[in-house]
Amino acid sequence: MNFFTRLVVDFAYFLNASIAYQRQKRFFYDILENDKYQYKKYFDIFMIVLIFSSVAILIAEVKSEINIYLKFFNIYIISIIFLVEYALRFWISSSVSEVIIKKSEHSVALDRKFYLYKALLSAAKEKLRFVLSIKAIIDLLAILPIFHELRLLRLFVVFRVFKLFRYTKSFQAFASVLATKKFEFFILFIFSSIVVFVSSVLVYVMEAQNPKSPINTLFDALYWSIVTIATVGYGDIVAVTTEGRMVAIFVIIAGVSVLAFTTSIVVSAFTEKLDEVREIRTVDTIRGLKHFYLICGYESVAQEVVKKLKNTKYSVIVLDEDAQRVENAKKDGLIAINYDPGDVESYQKLGIDVDLQVKTILCLRESDIENVYTTLTVRSISKDVNIISLLMDDTNRNKLNFAGANEIFYPKGLVGMIAKELTGRPVAFEVIHALRNDYYGVEVEEILVDDRMIQNILYVKELNSAKFRIILLGIYKKSTKRFFFNPTDSMILESGDYLLVIGNHAFMREFEIYMHKKKRR
Amino acid sequence: MKKKAALIFGYNDYAFEIAKNLKSGYEKVTIYTLGSEVELPKNCHDVDIKNFDLSDNWSNIDEDIDRENSIAFCVLEDSAENIFLTISLRSSFANLNIIALSNNKQTASKLQMAGANKVIPLVQTTAEMIAEMLQKPIVKEVFHNILFQSGALKIAQVKINEQNSYIGKEVSEIDWSIKYGVVVLALVNKDMSSEFIYSSKIKHHIIDKDDIFIVVGYAKDIMEFEKMTGSRCD
Repeated sequence: MNFFTRLVVDFAYFLNASIAYQRQKRFFYDILENDKYQYKKYFDIFMIVLIFSSVAILIAEVKSEINIYLKFFNIYIISIIFLVEYALRFWISSSVSEVIIKKSEHSVALDRKFYLYKALLSAAKEKLRFVLSIKAIIDLLAILPIFHELRLLRLFVVFRVFKLFRYTKSFQAFASVLATKKFEFFILFIFSSIVVFVSSVLVYVMEAQNPKSPINTLFDALYWSIVTIATVGYGDIVAVTTEGRMVAIFVIIAGVSVLAFTTSIVVSAFTEKLDEVREIRTVDTIRGLKHFYLICGYESVAQEVVKKLKNTKYSVIVLDEDAQRVENAKKDGLIAINYDPGDVESYQKLGIDVDLQVKTILCLRESDIENVYTTLTVRSISKDVNIISLLMDDTNRNKLNFAGANEIFYPKGLVGMIAKELTGRPVAFEVIHALRNDYYGVEVEEILVDDRMIQNILYVKELNSAKFRIILLGIYKKSTKRFFFNPTDSMILESGDYLLVIGNHAFMREFEIYMHKKKRR
Repeated sequence: MKKKAALIFGYNDYAFEIAKNLKSGYEKVTIYTLGSEVELPKNCHDVDIKNFDLSDNWSNIDEDIDRENSIAFCVLEDSAENIFLTISLRSSFANLNIIALSNNKQTASKLQMAGANKVIPLVQTTAEMIAEMLQKPIVKEVFHNILFQSGALKIAQVKINEQNSYIGKEVSEIDWSIKYGVVVLALVNKDMSSEFIYSSKIKHHIIDKDDIFIVVGYAKDIMEFEKMTGSRCD
């Protein structure tokens, strides 16, 4: 390996090992290409605004003289931004250093001579693949208006509109749906081309000799043929001879067929891909949520839990492997997706940060096997996320605990405990049951003591709860993680504590306002 | 002598959980099983197990139980059978306290129509507790401990006797939380049988004998409070 080759390979290794370089490259990759990156959408919106402003300026320019700064902005600023974007995309499209390292290591492993030009050729091929891609060509054309002296190049501003494909997912989804029918479209194109070619030649032969016919050149014939097969029929050029009209009948019939065929291809493509498109949209929606509850399995208990959570500030997402249950969840107005909650891949496909986004995972299948499996799967992804699980058979409690569930609900055990209360203290049970469910306009609330409250109220006495006909049942102290029932007037309130209060809705709201408004003397 | 009995109809986990919880409060706890259920192996917890048939006329049950103070639980897995059982028990025992288990709202209303005094809506109750756990974890913890666990805090129904010094006073005038360490959640007016009013809504109620107060407090404080008021009516 000569000195220069060694230098290049060493530099490739240096770049590959450089944390700063890789971090920069990763950042630009995220902002340009990674849909899961939270700030990408802001970049996309910025580019969309640039595109529309550029086109708006072009339209305004047609019939009136526009401000010179606006022109400068359109021609230079936007073009330079697009140029920088193109350069960055070119940079992140592939890694030259990685190709060089790979080729070099390959040569060493096989004890062959390393040729730098071969490695560079491979790297260039990869870069060329990017340059020749449709999206990159559109990006390049969108930069061309910078050479505004050439009038034609100014029209390339319109190509900037095509850049929208990059930034709007709907366009991408539309294109991807149509791309699934490439073969059918190809057949249609061949058929149409043959019809256009044959009919153009025929109508030219039939009509060109006739002085009354407007079809005088082969181009006229081609134009007539395309207008007719497209079923547009402007009527500016028409066949006047009987033979020409016979050709017209043939082209019209072919045109109707082409139209029907095209429609059917598009419709079938969308029908086949509709679920996929919907799934992509659902996944995007879920990814965009800040916090949510994730319900795994939408059976009877889950359905009731969802009803109880309808006023919660967090969204509720349903994950179920059964398509019918997912449909039921959607009918109930929920965001639901047909993924197996027991499969790690489901969470990878969702692209969510379980620790950050998911408040609690609820394993609510009415099968302990499924709940244990899902709990284990979730625990393998996140050690900290809160998991609540339903337990159907008490003998499986240890398994759920072992799998990592934080809370277990055993309905059968609950029945036993309720039975005891109903036979022992029926009214007391009813009082608490009604209170929990807000049956009589009286509710039980947890009120967080925040910093603002502490500035106003320091002691329990100052809460003045009796004035608002609020019953202070107790205080949960954050510092000791203990609940203090019926606290004394002298107990000090601290930020992060919770007041457990019972009272009428309206009085409760007034009480909260009072706690935030009262100024300490 | 007729016994205060708990009759549990259904040979399943629900029945055994109920039996486990009621053993201490009843002289006799019997699980009645349909012939088709008895094959299933269950941990019997020293509970009597008898067979029954939905077409029974219940004469053998009637012989040794104190119907006024006994209770029946209908916890058959099949909703239709459970409703049939409830209606047949009610037709035979007009005064028997019947508690039935339902898996959905539709069954719950049918069970009430069939004569159940109380229906436990299993799915809704479980869902309520899960939702409460998510939205109000401290409330769930405190109430769960008060109701179901043997923690320090208790809930009690306390009746005012006729010699009580508070009779004739307005509820809003008194504060038992300071004097007795108990918090009054609600009261049942002597005229209202099982209806109750939350204490936060009571302002001008004049305390009368036989009023029942639902109070929360530590066991010893509740005992002191009971001594003052007269009796506990759990």
